[in-house]
Amino acid sequence: MAGTIHQAGRKIWQTLSSTKTGVILLILTVVVSAGGTLILQRPVTDADEMQRAYSPQALRLLDTLGLTDVFHAWWFVMLLAAVSLSIVAASIQRFPNAWRYFARPYKSPDDNFRKALLFQQQIAVPDEEAGLSVAEKVFQTAGLKPERIVRQDSFSLFGERNRISEMAVYIVHASLLLIFLGGIVDAIYGWRGFVTLTRGEESSQVQAQNGSNHKLPFAIRCDGAGQENYADGTPKRWWSNLAVVERGRVVNTKEIVVNDPLVYRGIRFYQASYGRTGKVDKLLLTATSKTAKGESKEIALGLNETQSLDDDTTVRLAEFIPDYVVRDGQVYTRSEQLDNPAVHLMVSSKKSGKEVNVWMPALPGFEENAASRYSFEGKDVQMAYFTGLEVSHEPGQWAVWAGVILMSLGLGVVFYLVHMRVWAVPVHDARGQLFLWVGGTCNKNKDVFEQRFRKLVQEIESGIKVHSESGAQAPVTSMAGR
Amino acid sequence: MARVRAERQPAATGMTLVVMVGLGVAFLLFMALLNVAKSGNLLNESNLLYAALIFYSGAATLYLGFGVTGTPSYIRFASLATWAGLLANTGAVAHRWYEAGHPPFASIYEMLLSFVWTLAVLTLIAEKKYGVKVIGTVTMPVAIVGVVLMQLLRTDVHPLVPALQSTWLHVHVTLAMLAYAACALSFALAMMFLIQDRMTTETFLAATSLFSMATYLGILTRFEKWGGLSVVAWNPQEKSEVFIAKGVRLLVVIPELGWLMMVVLAAVAAPLVLYLLWRKSNNEGLLDMANRAVFVNILLQSLALVFFLLRARDGRYGSLDAEGLFPTSLAASPFILAGLVGGIFVSLLYLLLLWRRTDLERMLPSADELDRITYRTIAIAFPLLTLMIAAGAYWANRTWGSYWSWDPKETWAAITWLVYAGYLHMRITRGWRGRRAAYFAILGFAVVMFTFFGVTYLLPGLHAYA
Repeated sequence: MAGTIHQAGRKIWQTLSSTKTGVILLILTVVVSAGGTLILQRPVTDADEMQRAYSPQALRLLDTLGLTDVFHAWWFVMLLAAVSLSIVAASIQRFPNAWRYFARPYKSPDDNFRKALLFQQQIAVPDEEAGLSVAEKVFQTAGLKPERIVRQDSFSLFGERNRISEMAVYIVHASLLLIFLGGIVDAIYGWRGFVTLTRGEESSQVQAQNGSNHKLPFAIRCDGAGQENYADGTPKRWWSNLAVVERGRVVNTKEIVVNDPLVYRGIRFYQASYGRTGKVDKLLLTATSKTAKGESKEIALGLNETQSLDDDTTVRLAEFIPDYVVRDGQVYTRSEQLDNPAVHLMVSSKKSGKEVNVWMPALPGFEENAASRYSFEGKDVQMAYFTGLEVSHEPGQWAVWAGVILMSLGLGVVFYLVHMRVWAVPVHDARGQLFLWVGGTCNKNKDVFEQRFRKLVQEIESGIKVHSESGAQAPVTSMAGR
Repeated sequence: MARVRAERQPAATGMTLVVMVGLGVAFLLFMALLNVAKSGNLLNESNLLYAALIFYSGAATLYLGFGVTGTPSYIRFASLATWAGLLANTGAVAHRWYEAGHPPFASIYEMLLSFVWTLAVLTLIAEKKYGVKVIGTVTMPVAIVGVVLMQLLRTDVHPLVPALQSTWLHVHVTLAMLAYAACALSFALAMMFLIQDRMTTETFLAATSLFSMATYLGILTRFEKWGGLSVVAWNPQEKSEVFIAKGVRLLVVIPELGWLMMVVLAAVAAPLVLYLLWRKSNNEGLLDMANRAVFVNILLQSLALVFFLLRARDGRYGSLDAEGLFPTSLAASPFILAGLVGGIFVSLLYLLLLWRRTDLERMLPSADELDRITYRTIAIAFPLLTLMIAAGAYWANRTWGSYWSWDPKETWAAITWLVYAGYLHMRITRGWRGRRAAYFAILGFAVVMFTFFGVTYLLPGLHAYA
C-alpha cells in the first residue's frame, strides 16, 4: 500500500518536474494572457463600454467564465502557481547534478574520462616538471586558475574559470520565484485606492479600488496643488503639497509631482489627477444700490456665505452652477466645467424678513431681480481645485525588485560566462615516450572554446620549445592527435 | 546555368553599379545642397535626415546589387555608404536630442529615428564582426522605409506630458529599441538559415503569401460598412490625432478604399491557394501560376499603396462617431502605411529568392554558422527584453503606483519574453537546433511585431503614447 502511494508520488513528481509539463504550462499561460488582452477586462473598462461591446448574453457568459477579469481569476492564479511549482520541481530535479559540478570539481581525470573528452592534445615534453610548469603559466595567463593536484604517484594540473556559470540557471529560476512571491504578497496584502483633496482638506479615508473604504492609520492633508503649462497650453507639471498628520502632529511633508510620490509607512501617494471641482471657491461681485445713486460695493462670497450690504440688507450665495441648463422648470448643471455659469443669490431684508431670489443671468421663471434693492454684476470667479491622489500599498515590491536585479545578474552569467575546465596530465605512451596530455571542456559556446583551446595548446608547445632550447638537448616535439 | 552567369556577370558589370550609385548620391546631395544654400541653414535635422536617406538608399542599392550579383566590391562601397548614412543619422539624433532636451523616444517619430539608427549600427556589426554581408539587403530597405515614414510624421519637438518626464522612461524605451532591433536581426538570420537549410522556395512562397494576408487582414479590421476603410482623424493645426475621449481616437471613413484592400487581400491569398493546390495535385503549372501571381500582387499592392497615399494624404471624410467632415493624414496611419510598404517589400524579397537563390546560397554563411549566430543574437535580445520589462515596471511604479497592471502592452511584452524563454529552454535543455529553433526565432519576432504594432493599433490600453 505504502508502495503504491510512493509510486504515485514519484509519478506526480516526475510529471511535475519534466520539461514537457513546464512547456505546456507556459503555452497555457501565454494563450490565456493573450486572451485576456483581446477580451475587454472589467477592472480597466467602464461598465457602459462593456455593455456596448458585448451583447448581454455574451457578457453574462464571459462573466461566468471569469473571462472579463482573467488576471485576477482564481484559475489564473492557480495557473501561475502551477508554473511556479513546475519551476521549483524541475530545478530540484536537476539541481543535485549541477551542484556536484559546482561543489566538487572533477580535478584529476581518469583514463575513461580522458578518452571521451572532445578537446584534447598530447604534447611531447622533456620531463614532467617542465611540462607542468609551462602549462601552469599558460593556464594562469588565460585566466584559468591552475591548481596542482598531487596524488600518491602522480602530479597533474587542473584549471578552470567561471564555475558560477553552472549555478546561473538556478539563480535565474530562483529570481523568477522571488518575483512571483512579491506579486503574491501584493495580491494578498497590497491594496490600491484613490483620494481626492481640495486645498486645506484632510482625510484618512481612501476609496479602495474594490469600492470599500480603507482607513489609514494617519491623515493626509493637501496644503496646495497646481498645474503648470507649456507655452502651447499643454500641461507640463502637476504638483501637490502634502502633509502627513499623525495624532494632530505633522510628521512629514513633501511636494509631489507625477513620477515622484510621497512614501510614508510603506503607503505611497501619487499625483494622479488635477482639476476643477465645479464648486466655487470665491465669487467677486459688484453690488450697486438701486436707491442711493452710484453707491456700489465690491464683495467676495464663498458658497453659502452671507455678507451685509447695508444695515438692513444681506446677500448670500445660494447656488453656483458652472454649466447650467434649464429643463422642465429646473436648473441643472451639464458638467463641472466653467462653461456657462449661473449664480443664485439670496438678498434678504432683516426688517421685513423678505427674501428675494436674484439670478445672474436673469433666468425667467426663477429670477425676482426687479424686486431686489441691489443690482449685481459678476467680476471674477475662483473655482476650487482638487488634487487626485492614487494611493497604493505594495509590501511585496521589494521582493520583486530584488528578483529583477538577481535575474539580470543571473542572465548575464547564463549567457556570457562560460565554465571552462582544463587539465594537464603527464602520460607515457606505449613506447615509454613522455607526453603532456592536455584536455578541456566547457558548458556552452563550444566553437569559441575550441579556438581558445587550440591557442592554449599552441602556447604550451611553444613554451616547451623555448624551455628545451634554453635547457640541454631534448627530444624534438612530436605530436599525437586525439 | 545560373552559376556560370553569376560568375561571369561581375566581371562584365563590375564597377558600373558603384559608379551609377555614386553619381546618383552625388547628384542628389548636390541638388539638396542647392536648396539648402538658399535657406542658409545647413545642419538642421531634416537636412541631416535627408542626407541619411540618400546614403541609406545608395547603400541599399549596392547591397541589393551584391545580393543579386555577388560582386565583393559592392559590399565595400555599401558599408561606406552605410557609415555615411549612420553619421548623418547620428547628427539628426543628436540635433533632436539637443533641441528637445530629452532623448528622442517620446513619439513614434522619435522612436523611428532611434530605431533606424540602431538598425544601421547592428547591420555594420553583423557585417564586420560576424561576416553576414548580405544582411544589408534586408535591413537597409527597412531603414529607408523608416526614414520615409519619418518624413511623413510630425517633426516638431513636442513637449512631454507629465507622465513621460522620467529617466526611467528613456531607459525603458532605449532597451526596447535595442531588444527589438536584436530580435529583428535574429529573425533575418533565421530566415537566412532556412535558405541555407534547403527549405524549398515554394515554402517561402507560401510564407510570403501568408505574411501579406496577415497584413491585409490587419488593415481590414478597420473595414467599415459600404466598403470604406476607417483611419484616424488628424488635426493639421495641432499636428496630432483627434481624440474623442481619453485614449479613444476619432475615426473617419475613406469610402471605397476598403473594397480595394479586399481585392488585394484576395490577390495575395491566391499564391497560397495555388501552392496548396500544387501540393495536392503536383501540377507544376500551378506553381508557375503562383509565381506569376506574386508578380501581379506586387503591382496590385503598389496600386493599393498609391491609392492610400492619394486618398489619405489630404481630403476630408465623414465619421461614424461625429457629425461633419474631418481631415486625415498619412501621419495618422503610420501602421497601415508600414503594412502596405512591408507587404511589397516582402514580395520583392521573395522574387529575389526565386531568381537568385543559388547566388544567395553562395554568399551566405553556412547553415551551422547562421544557427549559432541566431542563438547569439537572441542571447543578446533576451537579457535586453528582461531589463526593458523591469525598467518599464519601475517607471509604472513611480507613475501609477503599480509595477504591473496587466495592460495589453505589458502582457504582450511578457508573452514575448515567455516565447524567447521557451526558445532558450528548448535549445539548451532539449538540444533544439536548426530548423525547429529557426521557426521558434521567427515566431518570437512575429510576437515582437504584434507587441510593437498590433497592440498599439488593435488593442486598448495605457500605452497610448507609443
